Amino acid sequence: MHEISLVQGLFEQIRELAVENKATKIISVTMEIGPFCGVVVDSFQFGFDILSGDDDLLRGAKLNIVYPEVTYTCTECNHVETVEGKTLDSCPKCGDSFLISNGGEDLILRQVEME
Amino acid sequence: MCDACGCHVPVHSHSHDHDHGHDHGHSHDHSGTKTVDVHASLFAANDALAKANREHFEADGIVVLNLISSPGSGKTTLLEHTIEALKDELKIGVIEGDIETERDAERIRAKGVPVIQLTTGGACHLDASMTHRGFHQLQKEPGGDDLDILFIENVGNLVCPATFDLGEHERVVLVSVPEGPDKPSKYPKAFTSSHTFLISKTDLLPYFDFPIEEAKGDALKLNPDLRVIDLCSTKGGEGFEKWLDYLRELAKALKKKQA
Repeated sequence: MHEISLVQGLFEQIRELAVENKATKIISVTMEIGPFCGVVVDSFQFGFDILSGDDDLLRGAKLNIVYPEVTYTCTECNHVETVEGKTLDSCPKCGDSFLISNGGEDLILRQVEME
Repeated sequence: MCDACGCHVPVHSHSHDHDHGHDHGHSHDHSGTKTVDVHASLFAANDALAKANREHFEADGIVVLNLISSPGSGKTTLLEHTIEALKDELKIGVIEGDIETERDAERIRAKGVPVIQLTTGGACHLDASMTHRGFHQLQKEPGGDDLDILFIENVGNLVCPATFDLGEHERVVLVSVPEGPDKPSKYPKAFTSSHTFLISKTDLLPYFDFPIEEAKGDALKLNPDLRVIDLCSTKGGEGFEKWLDYLRELAKALKKKQA
């Protein structure tokens, strides 16, 4: 629900980077989106597309998304599972649906490609 | 704005720290194209402001609670009754967060304590910067510059408010009986990030399918340190007394820390 305002904040940061690096065009932006950071990837992509289309520096920029590793511990059998890019709904070992997650709560700007 | 009030909060919304491997020098140049490695959290700005808020609240001796829940679970009603019960013991202030209207602030104002309403105009949560602004506004209200406890009633929503630290000391999540017992499993972050879980409107238990022990057990599985309190109609009774004692303890603990 707040993805658009996060993209606006991101673009401000990118504008500063472009000035620092004397770039006039952003080619791609790589974001790490944790599955528990409260951001819906589709909405973030939508916000990115809409707002970049309106911006000379960012028009046509590609958004690359990477997913961090998250470690899940089952509250029933203590099994630990590490996965990347998807959330785990239940324990692959005992099937219990109560898992404690560790990691995946951040939204990080990793890399910007510019010219 | 903060130079005027001397509250030492970074004026820039994005404190530009370079101490976290945020290496601007690390760029690869290939025929006019440049790749810059950044590694900066988009939540870092909020978290830095939240930390500054917390320090500010502590310096002023104020315990701050952030109330989150779905719309209609009884946050404002709970505050009304809490103020009535404690207003002779503790100096209470309230920041109300809503998308629109002054209604909640008017209800709290009628109880005779300082309150301000933040209307987010569509945003689904409060953030640290709104809280900071709201706190300064509250300080200008009569009695608002001398508080023991500040309640921040977040926008009714169990999703987004869980992601944004406001600088509170305690986060309290409410679920009312008519909403159903599956909130902890559906909205885990609201429970893993909270300190206290209040189950409100428990006088309605005979009329709803709400296995209360299951709801409590699910929440405790996610967060074993969660304090769980049942509130009967958010209007009195044993659970309400427990809630008041919890608030008294928090206020006392902060004063002790200060002394």
